[in-house]
Amino acid sequence: MTTPTAPDAMYRNDEGLGIWEHRGKVAAVGVGHAPTSRRWDGRPETCVGAITIDALRKAIDDAGVAPDQIDGLVIVPVTTTGAFWEAGKPLPMDVIQSFNQTDDPLDGIAKLSAEWLLANMPELTNVNFTMYGPGCMSNALNVTAQAVGDGLAHTCLVVKSWHNFEGRYYQGGANAGNALPGTPAITQLWGGPASYSTALQFAEYCRKYGKAHDMMAPFMENSRRNGLRFPEGYWAQHRPEELGPEDYLASRWIAKPANLFDNDIPIMMSGAYLFSTAERAQDMKQKPVYILNHASSNTRPRSLLPTLDEVEADTALTGRKIYEGAGITADDLSFENMYDGFSLFHQFHLEGLGYRGIKFGEALDFYQTDISIEGPNPVSPSGGNVGSGRSRVWMHTDCIQQLQGRAGARQVTGVKPEVGVSGGPMPLGGNYTVWSASPD
Amino acid sequence: MSETEEQSVTILISFDIDGTLEVGDPPGPLTMDMVRLVRDKDFLIGSCSDRTLSSQRALWQDHDIEVDFVVGKHMLADVKDRFDADVYLHIGDREDLDRQYALKAGFDFLWPDEAVAHPHFQPDI
Amino acid sequence: MAKQGVEPDELTQPFWDAANEQRLVIQYCVDCDRLQHPPSDSCRDCDDGGELGWKQVSGRGRIYNYGVVHDCPIRLLQEDQPFNLAVIMLDDDPGIQMYSHLPGIPVDDVPVGAAVEVIFEPSANGQLVPEWRVIAD
Repeated sequence: MTTPTAPDAMYRNDEGLGIWEHRGKVAAVGVGHAPTSRRWDGRPETCVGAITIDALRKAIDDAGVAPDQIDGLVIVPVTTTGAFWEAGKPLPMDVIQSFNQTDDPLDGIAKLSAEWLLANMPELTNVNFTMYGPGCMSNALNVTAQAVGDGLAHTCLVVKSWHNFEGRYYQGGANAGNALPGTPAITQLWGGPASYSTALQFAEYCRKYGKAHDMMAPFMENSRRNGLRFPEGYWAQHRPEELGPEDYLASRWIAKPANLFDNDIPIMMSGAYLFSTAERAQDMKQKPVYILNHASSNTRPRSLLPTLDEVEADTALTGRKIYEGAGITADDLSFENMYDGFSLFHQFHLEGLGYRGIKFGEALDFYQTDISIEGPNPVSPSGGNVGSGRSRVWMHTDCIQQLQGRAGARQVTGVKPEVGVSGGPMPLGGNYTVWSASPD
Repeated sequence: MSETEEQSVTILISFDIDGTLEVGDPPGPLTMDMVRLVRDKDFLIGSCSDRTLSSQRALWQDHDIEVDFVVGKHMLADVKDRFDADVYLHIGDREDLDRQYALKAGFDFLWPDEAVAHPHFQPDI
Repeated sequence: MAKQGVEPDELTQPFWDAANEQRLVIQYCVDCDRLQHPPSDSCRDCDDGGELGWKQVSGRGRIYNYGVVHDCPIRLLQEDQPFNLAVIMLDDDPGIQMYSHLPGIPVDDVPVGAAVEVIFEPSANGQLVPEWRVIAD
């Protein structure tokens, strides 16, 4: 079985598609997370493949489903955006030989295939549907929801994992060399770090609306506070450090106006969910969380970087698509869990959604109000990547757990958790899911 | 520098944490007892790390070590302005985030392994 | 600032060859007559891909936006940190952007909106690279 990448037809990219045809008929039930770590320590039991198996088994157990009932697996095959196995570096044969390997020796170590997982999870005897949702969990969730709705699978696992190696993100490879090929040179020769594009959008935003970087501090403090109540997350597990205004504002710039904490911390992690049809989900161990819609943006900027105009046009379009397919309005959202990894674009997502009625240019003022989980307007109750490290997964886990009523110390109390939205990554080009405690 | 000279000058040491101190992530070779040793020699000491200021303070408090400063990686020049010393030394494990910042701020620099063997971290006889 | 050298590839050879002649050319679609940058194998706006060519532009533009890079992933540039990294929008088509270190402009003192013109600077392997300097309006 060779796993295909999800075709474009599985995504809801366009406005005007109407209510999603499977609205309320697909549900998330089980959640599984492997322990996090800062970097891989080289042991077989902590490689990205092993932690993925751990997360998947926990999701299966959490849902109370027998492994042989599972017939689908959707994964994100790429497990990093900036930590790569150096060319010529010896392969870790002891690790490779600890698993049933595919013909790619770095499978399970620096990448992940569905074939590798199935070869190393013998209990999954009935999986006949596998698919790649590239990029991040947000994408894979859209694929999984559509696949279950379309009947391609009825009980489907979806997983996203991250590896991280020694050394600093992005610092090796071509960036350490003396020359670049002509095509990447046109965009990379000037040395903008990963957060540079977001930093510029934020700079333009501040100029246009008369805002300043220090207005981000309450959002950052709130996000880390929520993250420290996320027992699956990196900061809660390893370094329970708050991120107060002094901490945030004193940190060094990476690409001004993006500072160190506006950039997320790369970690090893794996998060998995078990999806099923709403009907089958009724008999599982956890309360089903129903999918009301999924929506995507495949917009590209005209040139090198998105302008603020492009960002605002696309986040507004995304908001309309999210609401249209779910048959809801902004007023129906109990909370939002849009992406934050870079923190300086979370406000674009919020304004595009019109969350709590805010308009373009108003989100940073909104951050100065009560955005806590105890208040009436919870912002990023997951804490996102700011709160728990680089994963692009926490926001989805939090939506499921909030609506199941088992978010623990992170549970929203100022609103009744009925409908939530999560997704990302970037304001241009992303995938979004609308979750509900009820199928209706 | 001889032990006698060491006692007659004011020495300021800035410690990186992760990869440098034994309590770092990853742990480094400098023990907290070594930090206490230079504290007891009346050196000015503090930490200079990408960790938050509040967590740096908490770390020192947890180990009952009184420090003179906690700063971010980019703030060594401020430390030099604040404290009058004869020797300014930063110890860290990263070329870009420790050595380059230290040299730009006018600090001497030691890698952690070099620091462990340095006379500063040997008890006075 | 000493940028990495450039090894032109098939797609970008005309861009880099023109730079060595101190000319700025931008890829464009013959069918829809739109500029596009960065260059691509096909026109992003034409359904059938469009026929692509290269068009010399005026080399004038404006500073649209900037950031200050303090932690750069490219080793060769790290000694020059912090440095300005601006985005220029071309007068010929303000939707088209190019990067610039804005040589001569003090760090974090960038006149957003100012007029600029292209200049060409040698990179590590001698390949000329477009850069931009502020000019009077």
